[in-house]
Formats: sequence, C-alpha cells, structure tokens
Amino acid sequence: MIEQNLKELEERSIFILREAKSKFKNVAALWSMGKDSTTMLALARKAFLGKVPFPVIHIDNGIDFPETYKFRDDLTKKWNLDLIVAKSEIKPEISGFSCCGSNKTEALKKIMKEYKFDALIVSIRRDEHGIRAKERVFSARDKNFRWNYKNQAAELWDDYSSKIDTAGHVRVHPLLDWNEIDIWRYIKKERIPVNPLYFSRNGFRYRSLGCTHCTVPVKSNAKTIDDIIKELKNTDTEERAGREQDKEKEYVMQKLRAFGYM
Amino acid sequence: MLVRNVTMQGHKDHGKSTLIGSILMLTNSVSQARIEEAKKYSQKLGKPFEPAFILDSFEEEREGGLTIDTTRAEASYKGVAFELIDVPGHEELIKNMMSGASFADIAILLVSAKPDEGIRDQTKRHVFVARMLGINSIIVAINKMDSVEYKKEVYDKLVNEINSFFKNINFSGSVRFVPISAYNGENIKEKSEKMGWYKGKPLLEELFFLSKKKDKPKIKDLRAVVQGFIEEENKKLISARVLSGCLRKGTISVYPNGIKRKALNLIVNGKKVAKACENDTVAIELDAPLNEARGLVISSSSKPIITKKINALVFSTIKLGNNSKISIRLLGKEFAAKKLSINEVIDASNGLHKKGNFIKPLDAGRVAIDLGDYVAVEKYSELKGMGRFTFYSGSKFGGVGIIE
Ligand SMILES: Nc1nc2c(ncn2[C@@H]2O[C@H](COP(=O)(O)OP(=O)(O)OP(=O)(O)O)[C@@H](O)[C@H]2O)c(=O)[nH]1
Ligand SMILES: [Mg+2]
Repeated sequence: MIEQNLKELEERSIFILREAKSKFKNVAALWSMGKDSTTMLALARKAFLGKVPFPVIHIDNGIDFPETYKFRDDLTKKWNLDLIVAKSEIKPEISGFSCCGSNKTEALKKIMKEYKFDALIVSIRRDEHGIRAKERVFSARDKNFRWNYKNQAAELWDDYSSKIDTAGHVRVHPLLDWNEIDIWRYIKKERIPVNPLYFSRNGFRYRSLGCTHCTVPVKSNAKTIDDIIKELKNTDTEERAGREQDKEKEYVMQKLRAFGYM
Repeated sequence: MLVRNVTMQGHKDHGKSTLIGSILMLTNSVSQARIEEAKKYSQKLGKPFEPAFILDSFEEEREGGLTIDTTRAEASYKGVAFELIDVPGHEELIKNMMSGASFADIAILLVSAKPDEGIRDQTKRHVFVARMLGINSIIVAINKMDSVEYKKEVYDKLVNEINSFFKNINFSGSVRFVPISAYNGENIKEKSEKMGWYKGKPLLEELFFLSKKKDKPKIKDLRAVVQGFIEEENKKLISARVLSGCLRKGTISVYPNGIKRKALNLIVNGKKVAKACENDTVAIELDAPLNEARGLVISSSSKPIITKKINALVFSTIKLGNNSKISIRLLGKEFAAKKLSINEVIDASNGLHKKGNFIKPLDAGRVAIDLGDYVAVEKYSELKGMGRFTFYSGSKFGGVGIIE
C-alpha cells in the first residue's frame, strides 16, 4: 500500500475543513467512532485551533459494539464534542443493504431535516472502493439525498466550493486523498485515540467498523498500531472485505451511494 | 513517497482507462479482489477481460463502455507514487475531463493506432486544454499497436502527424513518444519484444524520468491567498494558503487595498511556527480585524497586479459572445462580470486563429473581462494559483481561463 506525505495530506484536509466551515452556514459531521472519522475530528481540532466547531452525528442502531459506545462517550468528554445521537430503527430482517443502508439513511435524513444542516462532512477515502473513488471533495445531494453521479459539478484545482446547485445538502470529503495506511501512520504520529476493536484478539481484528450485524473481523495478529501498519504494507485484500453489504449484489455500493448512503 | 499527478488525455475509446488498469496490474498496485471483480463483470457482459473496469465502476460506464467521470488510482514505480487520473474522452463530458486534469503536472496522451481511430478532435482539444492548464510534459502513447501487428510504419506516421500538430500550436514543453499496447501490457513496464525497432524506453521509465522535474513558481516573493476568517466572531484570525515565498511574523500588506497589518502569530497544521512557506495553509493572528477576508492576497515586499480588468485565454464549453452574462470564480471568490469582450477566437482543435466575434462551445479565445471590482492577481505563467479561474453562466459551468 502506498504511503503518502502526511504533512501534505494534513494540510489539504485542513484547507477543505475550513472551506466547508466558511462556505456553509450549518455544518455537521458523521462520526462512526471508526478510525477515519476520528482522524477527521483530530484534523478539525487542528484546523480550528483545538476545538471541533461543528456537531458530530452518530447514527446509532443500538447494535454497535459495547467498546464503540464506551469509546464514543470517553472521547466526547475528552474533546468536548457536540454529539448528536440519531437513533436508527432495527427491522427484524436486517442484513447488509437494509442494515447499514436504508435504516441508517432514514435516521440521518430525519436529523438533517430537524437541524437544517446544509453540509455534512463524511470521512470516505478514494482507496476504499471504486465508486467512492468517483466522488468529488464537495458533492451535492438533493432533497431526497440522491447523488446525481452522472452529472457531477466541475471541481477544478482547490476551488472546491465551485457553484453547487442543490436544494438538499453538500457532502464534504476531507479525507478523499488518504490511503488506509496513511490514516494509521497519522494516528500513530498524532497519538489519536482509536477504538480497541481494531486490534487483534484471539487471532482476529476489525479492519473496518460497521455495526455488529454487518461487520466481520479479519484474520490478524496485529496488536499494536505498528503491527497494523506492517500488516497493511504487505496486504492484498480489500479493507472492506469484512463488510457484508459490499458483496451482496451487483453495483450495491453505487446504489447505496446514489440513495444517500455514506 | 514522492507523489506525482499524471492525467490521461485522448479521444474516447483510445484506451485511457485500459492503460491505467494495465499499469495498476503490472506494478501490483491493485488488489486481486478488484481485478477479479472486473473480470467477473467483463464475463457477465460477454466480453473478454476489460482492465478498464478496474477504474470504470459505475454500471452505466461498464454497460456503455465509456468513462463518465474522472477517478484516480495510485501506482508505485521505483519509489515514486504516480497518482493516475482517468478522465472521460467523450466531448460532452469535457468538464469532467478538466476537473481531473486540473490536478496534473504530467499528461499521457493516448492515440490509437487502429486505422479508423488515429488523431481525432478530442486528441487535439485535450492537448490544447492541457497546455492551457500548464502541463509542460506530455508522453504520447501510441496505443493498440497490437491491432496493426506492431508495425513501425504506423507508429512513425502518427508521430509525424502529432509532431506537426504540436508545432502548429507552438507547444514548447517536452514531448516523448512511446508505442504501446495497453491491453496486452506491451512496452509499459518492460521493453516490448514485439517492437524491437523501438529504441526508446518503456512508458513507466519515461514517466519516472519526468517525475524528477517539478515546476516552481516564477514568483519568489510571498503571495498568500486568504481563505476566510477562522471564527466568524473573531475577525483577527484568518486562514491563508501560501502560494509562493514565505510568510513571517511582522508587517504584511493585504491586497487589493494594500491595508497594512501585523501578523502576531502563525499556526501551521496545529503548531505555532516562525514562518509559513509554499503550500502551507496558515492560521494568522492579526493585530487588528479585517472587514472581509476571502480572496484577498497577502504579500510582504513586492506588489501583485491590482486591476479591475483581466485579459485571459479561455477554453469555453458554452457559447460566449460580447453580451454573454457570466460570473467568474477567481481566488475562491465570485465576480459577476460587468463586461466581456471577445478579442480573438481560436479553434481549439488546431490552435489556429478563427474569424468571428463569438466563441463556440469547445473552442477557445482571448477575452477581456471587467470584474467590476479590484482584485490582486498574477499572470498564470508567473504564479498558477493566482492566475486561473473558472466561469459560469448562471449555475452552468462555462469553462476555464488563464490570465495573460
Ligand atoms: N486491441 C486493443 N484494444 C485496446 C487496447 N487498449 C484498449 N483497447 C480497447 O479499446 C476499448 C476502449 O478502451 P478504454 O480504455 O475504455 O478507452 P478510454 O480511452 O478510456 O475511453 P473513454 O473512457 O470513453 O474516453 C476497450 O474495448 C479496450 O479493450 C489495446 O492496446 N489494444
Ligand atoms: Mg475510460
């Protein structure tokens, strides 16, 4: 896996976060307590001189891991976060698409409407998936959260806030350029707190975190951040290999995203 | 790792996505799962394996056999990370092409050697736009050599034609030619045995060679563009990106008005620093507040160009006449143009002067724009970040321009 220059990545993300804050009136961020969105919060603390100046949303379906809830509450206190918990419903037939997809999206829609957020910071990366690699840094969603991927706005140079025509909201992607290994290198360098589920227990660890129902751990003996970095240098499997929804059906990621999934 | 941004260029179907797919596989820069997935879908569509599907991920792209939107993937070769930017070749998707190509400093121009393909309109238009955007290094990959039995004559003929095109448009950058088969991976990482007559280096070697050069801005003095206030209530704290030179604590001038301020503290990436240099985004604590911030320019010794009117070369995706109402996005700010005058019309497919007083969609021209307000700018050739803009007609993207 390719390691990029952390200082450059950091600078670009800070620029994007400030761009979002100055362009939009009412910004919020999604926080899954995973490594990417937690790294994004650490970057926001740098961009805004020590504090995260926007609310963070946890879409909670009640079946996240106990470690995840504890991690959330500890860091919320430590970093003085303005946490919004969006309760998402669980339907009995939960699996992939409906679990991580529609249920969570419905909950998010409700919160976005209630608080009238016009921008949502989402910590996706281009190297996660071919569909995510097609995203812009600033990307419009319509009223119904739909992504018009067949006609995305022009985005040249660092002019992220080009004209975006939307009656809905804009997704902001400050980590698009980062690779998985860069996230871990940065976590190490900046000593960013991480969810303990990423480290190996009994020969398994989580490489990507969803809820208990749609994430499975991967075989790994990585017990420290250094172990994880070493493991990633040599890995050939996809990060999201443990996510059920990605493999379920053809173009399922495209459909999830088109419907407003994160 | 050194990262270099490389954009593909070229007409639809000449093999841009296929080439990136091939490079990713040859350099082991893509997971087996992603390759398998692309194979599976090629099969499903009843096609032989399409390496382009590693990039083309939308259903519509695969079914339609074309790239709709730009994407990127990284390949590492000899310790350099090449960020390979795929772009659509279809003329209606040129705004997506520009979105991708705007990040690049090197271009690979694909020209298919197939008898019915060759040099086409988008081949030339892409070169025109690439040159405008300041790309000085182009590798011309003559692709699909397998379909002409790897014949030297076909290659030589195309090289001649392209060379005379480059001459017509006065291209002064560096141009290299490589015959390849993107599909079969010939002459990409290793020298192809099928083209023993070719004496040059394989494609990745050419790329590696170019990666060592990096353009530096001509302006050496400090220029920093202000992004905005960091906190809306506190107008003493601003964010700026340094484009050239270094910003130090002490007296600074803020243009276009030339207001003087003192920079009391500088913070880069969360740390207090004594100076902020090229490519740093810096938080500046000022001694006194500013009324407005976005789009202002900070300098310390020499003065930027202060003007209401800019002269520019534009590439337009809309019809542009003397009465067109457009807005300009420059330095992160938007200006409703007061007056637009078309001074010259240029055919972007050959770079030649054209008669007429309006610019057709997908053509270029020289224009004078009255912005109605003073701005601090530089010529694009002196400092890219202060000399480029996009323009819109209402909310419709209209094209790009560079200040001359
Ligand atoms: N014979 C042969 N066919 C090739 C070669 N490279 C690409 N092709 C084929 O040409 C077709 C178009 O290739 P793409 O890579 O999709 O072309 P593109 O330039 O990305 O096209 P757009 O995205 O529409 O601009 C595909 O069917 C490829 O398999 C080659 O080296 N030889
Ligand atoms: Mg393509």
